[in-house]
Order: sequence, then structure tokens, then C-alpha cells
Amino acid sequence: MNSAKELVTQQLFFRRELSERVGWLVGVRWVAVAAALISAWVLRLWRFDLPIAPVVGVVVAMTGYNLMFAIVVRRLRRITPDHQVPFQICAHAQILCDLAALAALIYLTGGFYSPLTLFVLFHIILAGILLDPIYAYLYACMGILGIGLLGYLQAVGALAPHTRLFEHAIYHVGHSPRENGVLFIILATAYLITAYLVTTVKLSLRAKGRTLLRFGKELDAANTKLTALYDMVKQMAFCADYQELMDSATQNTARIMGVKACSIKLLDEQRQTLRFASNYGLSQNYLAKGDIDISKSPINQRIIQGAFYTIGNIEEKDYFQYPENVRQEGFSSMICLPLKVEKRVLGVFCVYSQARFNFTDADVDFFALIAELTALAMQNLKSELNKSWFLQKAAHQLRSPLNAVDSMLKVLRKAYAGPLNDRQAEMLAQCERRIESLSLTIQDLLKLGIKRADTAPAELRQISLAPLLAQLSAVYQTQAKEKGVHLAISLESGLPAIMGEEKLLDDLYTNLLSNAIKYTPAGHQVQVTLAKEDPKRLCLQIADTGIGIPQDQLPRLFTEFFRAENAKAHTDQGTGLGLAIAKEAMDRLRGTLHIESREGEGTRVTCYFPIAA
Amino acid sequence: MDKANDILIIDDDRDLVHSMRIILETKPYTIRTAHNGKEGYHRVEEKIPDLIILDVMMATDTEGFDLAYRLRNQERYRDIPILMLTSFTQKMVETGADKFQHIMGEEWPVNKFLEKPIDPDVLLKTVEELLRGE
Repeated sequence: MNSAKELVTQQLFFRRELSERVGWLVGVRWVAVAAALISAWVLRLWRFDLPIAPVVGVVVAMTGYNLMFAIVVRRLRRITPDHQVPFQICAHAQILCDLAALAALIYLTGGFYSPLTLFVLFHIILAGILLDPIYAYLYACMGILGIGLLGYLQAVGALAPHTRLFEHAIYHVGHSPRENGVLFIILATAYLITAYLVTTVKLSLRAKGRTLLRFGKELDAANTKLTALYDMVKQMAFCADYQELMDSATQNTARIMGVKACSIKLLDEQRQTLRFASNYGLSQNYLAKGDIDISKSPINQRIIQGAFYTIGNIEEKDYFQYPENVRQEGFSSMICLPLKVEKRVLGVFCVYSQARFNFTDADVDFFALIAELTALAMQNLKSELNKSWFLQKAAHQLRSPLNAVDSMLKVLRKAYAGPLNDRQAEMLAQCERRIESLSLTIQDLLKLGIKRADTAPAELRQISLAPLLAQLSAVYQTQAKEKGVHLAISLESGLPAIMGEEKLLDDLYTNLLSNAIKYTPAGHQVQVTLAKEDPKRLCLQIADTGIGIPQDQLPRLFTEFFRAENAKAHTDQGTGLGLAIAKEAMDRLRGTLHIESREGEGTRVTCYFPIAA
Repeated sequence: MDKANDILIIDDDRDLVHSMRIILETKPYTIRTAHNGKEGYHRVEEKIPDLIILDVMMATDTEGFDLAYRLRNQERYRDIPILMLTSFTQKMVETGADKFQHIMGEEWPVNKFLEKPIDPDVLLKTVEELLRGE
């Protein structure tokens, strides 16, 4: 933080305080005016001998100058709200006027012996609050002089104040000079002590105010930095490319840390060299030095072992493999930290500044936080990329031979390799369908793996469900018959269309139906029904009298690769992906899927599809 | 057409190449084949084909594209129509284009994509269109 700028804001803060207080004084004076009037009236009621006309005169004068000050303060606030001097003058003027009015009241209530001499204290306090400490003492001395002079003039008979008010009180005419002297000293001491106390308290309050103000600024700066860091992390989270992520990290870090340059160096597999992977603000010349041999760079060696390095003045140290380059670049101080996730070091993260001793401990801590988050983001993206690369590769490897087989089948079926009879053509068509369904499953596996997080909604269109299901069921009729399972399919005709997508419906239905047949022993049955549930939904039910699912395993059914114990015992076939894919498909179709089951009795899967509007 | 069109098929999947050969030989085409990018480039150097059918992923994920760009960057070979085979759907290639773009440059170096598995009728139709210059 720039200290001159800080001073200005600080002064502004205290000036505003003065302008507020000066206005407040005007307000307090209205109360004083009212109090003076009421007191005068009460004293009269109680038959005190008070010269009412002059007192009222003083009160009228107070009202007058207070009105004036009210206007002046308002105007000052409008014209020069941030200038201190006019408000200071205004404060002096107010105190002086008040002292004059007080002097008049003191004169009217007994002069030197008037108890109102105590009220001088208020003005000393006000001066202490509003003005510099010296003025509290100045006004205290003025009070002492005034009271002393009054006492002297009264004693020599040069002034004859109105003394009958407290004739029988402690203060009455005729004290000896010795007593008068004691009274004067007590008053004078009270004035001075008040001035001392009020200025001391004020100075300590002001010091606290400054500290608070500084804390406020620091908090503000920290908040700005953290917000910038948050934005940086958010930006990194959206990066799909490793280089893009690191470039975003170096650029943002240089900006947030307010430094000239920033770099990320990555460690090679053998952990022997560091390669500049991303930089911001470094010259080509600097980068041209190439990879850093760790065995020749003690500083990098230490960092890779986990040490933080802050160098205040690069000139003094002998850390670098290429000290000339560092000097040429004009860097004087730097922080270098390991980029690491848990204990694994990915590389070295540095910020470079041209100023000497530019970094405080707080800066190092903050940079360490940035480094930690950056390393996490890098690690995260890397594992994402690995996963997606693996799945793509796996899917490609699986699909390539299938595509070849499929292409060859098509060549055969379409008689490019010679004529076929109808039976052969039909069987080849069946082969093609099966191959296609396998190929689609592989595609789904890929989709399930990579696109789980894909938030883009499926493109649904109006589909008539019954014909599609009938078509999809054909393969399974044969399968069920071969197994000896009775497959009864009852699809109501004339049902309204639903919003769907063929492939998703295929995923859903074929997975559910093949499951039902797979887990139903010979002689049992599978019943498929499609009907209208209510005006808004169609209901598809696939019920079997098969092996069922144990109650305790029902909650895990949609977990990928999960297969219930009795299912595994029943058949080796099955990847445990079917229901996960079906569920994923149903979610994308925006329908709902319920499974009820009892072990040994059977399973009923119910799907609800929203009817197209 | 006076002389048979010369079609060069470059794909590392020999079975698929064989299938395509069977399909294309039902028409008066001369078929040459190659099983990787390098071999394919040699075949092009030997004789400029009228059409190249090229697979995207061979030994590397982008071998097909690498060859396509190499050909597109040379005056002599720039105008050879290329039909690219992919096991991605057309849509995936299009939406995933930006993943390749920063390596490859601005424009796709091929005339048309054809999705695997290969449908003989579609292959013949596409080849005819490309040879006609559509």
C-alpha cells in the first residue's frame, strides 16, 4: 500500500469526523439554550433573585449565533466538505462565542463566586474533542485568566456583579483573599486537569482509530486479492487444455501478486531437469537458456525437496545456474515454491519482481496458497485428460474390429460379394443388428464414462413408443424362446407420442428387457406392458418372475459394474453396466424409473414417460 | 468416363480395406491401397490418384490428418479429393474440431467425412459424387 495515499485517506477520515462534530455542537447548543431558559424560569419560580431580562438577553444572543453557525456549518459541508481549516475556525468561533455567553451568565449569577464557573470545563472538553490538544490547554488558560481577572476586579470593587443569587450559599461575598486564592487554585487545577484528561483520551482514541483504519485497508486489500484468486481458480477449472491452464495460472498470478513476471517449470519424468512450461513476462532471451539441470541448480534442488525460497536481493546470492540471465532480466527479488499435490512435486512455480525485498511473509503465504490451488487444478485436469484419453482409446480399440466386421457383413448382405438366398440375407441382417447393438453399447460406455458430467440436454423429439418397442423386442423374442422363457408383450395401440430420442429409448428398453430375460429361469415369464398411466404420462412395465434382487442390494443397483450376488451366481454374463446406462438414458429422457423386487419372486421395473405436449 | 478412375485407399485395417476394394471394384475403378500414412504418401508420389479414401486414426490418433495436411500443403497434390473415414460420428468430429484445430490450422483438409461402419451403397454414392467434383 502506498503510504502517501494511505495518509491522505486517513486524514480524510479524521476531517470528516471534525465536520460531523462541529455540526453536533450546534445541535447540543440548542439543548443548552433550552436548559438556560428553563433554569431561569425555575429559579424565578423558587423566588431566587435573578436579573431575568439580561439572562434572557444572553439566551437570545445564543440563539442568534447558533442559528448563524447552523447555516455556516451546512454551507461549509456543501462547499468544502473535505477541508479542515474552515471547520477548525468554525469550532474556535463557536467555543469563543460560548465562552463569551458563559462569561455574561457568570457575571449575572455571582461573578467569581458563581457556580457556573464550573461550566468552563465543558468548553475545555469541547476544545479537546474538536481541536488539536494545544487548544484544550489554551482555552483552559483563558478560563483561568478570565476567572482570575474577574475575581481581582470584584475584590478591588472595580466590578459589581449580581451577587444576591446565592446569598446564603457557600459562595457568598466577603471571603478573605486567602479563601479566594484557594477557590481560584481549585478552579484553575480543575481546568488544567480536564484539559489533560480529555487530550490524553482523545490522542489514544485517535491512535486506535488509525490502527482500525489500517486494519480496514489491509482487510480490503486481502479481500481484493482473494477475490482475484477465486476468479483465477474458477478460470482454471474451465480449462480443458493443460497448456491453457498453466498460461492462465502464470498470467493471473503475475497480476494478483503485482509482479513483473511469473513462471511454471515442470519436472521431467526422471526428475532431473526442469523445463519452462509456461511463463508470463519473461524475455525470449531468458527462456533461451533452456532446461535447467537440477544437479547444477542448488536452489531448484532444494525447492523440489519441498523448500520455499524467497530471495530479497538476488545480487547478494549465488544460487543460480545462469546468474547472468537473472541480472539481465532486471529481477531483484523472487519467490520460488514447489508445485505439489500432497507429496508429489510437479514442478517449480516462481514470481519475479524488479524491486528488492519486495515480498513480505504474507506475500509468501499467499503465493503458497496460489501454488497449492494451481497444482491441484493441474493434477485434476491431468487425471481428467488421462481418463478421457483412456476411454476414447479403449472405445476406439473395441469399435475398430466391430466396424470392420459390420462393414464386411454389409458387403455380404448387399450381395457385393455374390448373390445370397433370403434366409442367408436375413441372418446376416440379424448379425448386423447384433453387431450394431454391441457397437452402441461401447459407445454408451464411452458416453457414460466421459459425458456423465455433460449437462447439455438430449435433443428430444416426438416419438411413438409402441412401434419402436415392438421393433426392438423382435431380437429378444428369439432369445427368450431359445431360453424357454415366456415373453409376453402387450403394447397398447393408439397411445399418444412421447418426447424421446430413439437411441436413448433403445438403451433403456434393451437393457431392461435383456436383464429381465437374463435373470428369469426357463419356464418362468417376462411380461412387458405399455399403457397410459394418466393424461400426462405413459407407463412401461417390465415384470418378470425371475430370481429377483436381495432387499439389501437394491440401493446399489445403479452403481456401475455392480452385480447382485444372486445375479452373479445365476450367470457369468453381464458387465454390471446395464442399469447404469438405463438410468442415465432415463434421466436424459426426463422420465422416471422405479425398481421393485423380491428375491426369489421376481422384479418389476416401471418407467414413466412424459407425453408430448 | 474414358479411363477407369484411380482410387487410393489408405487404412491400417486390412479387412476394411479389403471390403472397400470389393465394393468399389463393382464399378470401373482402379484400386490401390496403403496401410499407413507414409506408404500412402509414396503411392501418391508414384501416381496422383483421382480420389483418396483415408482413415483418421492409424498408428497415431491424427495420422490421417497429418497426411491430409501434408498433401494439402503441396501445389501438386492440393486438388486431390479426400474422403475421410472416421469411427466418430460426424457430429463428434464437428464438435470436437477445436481439439484438433490448434494443431492443424484453420480448415479441415478433407472434402468429406464418412462414418464407419461402411455402408456399401453410401460409399459408392459418395465416391461418385466426389469424382464428379461435387
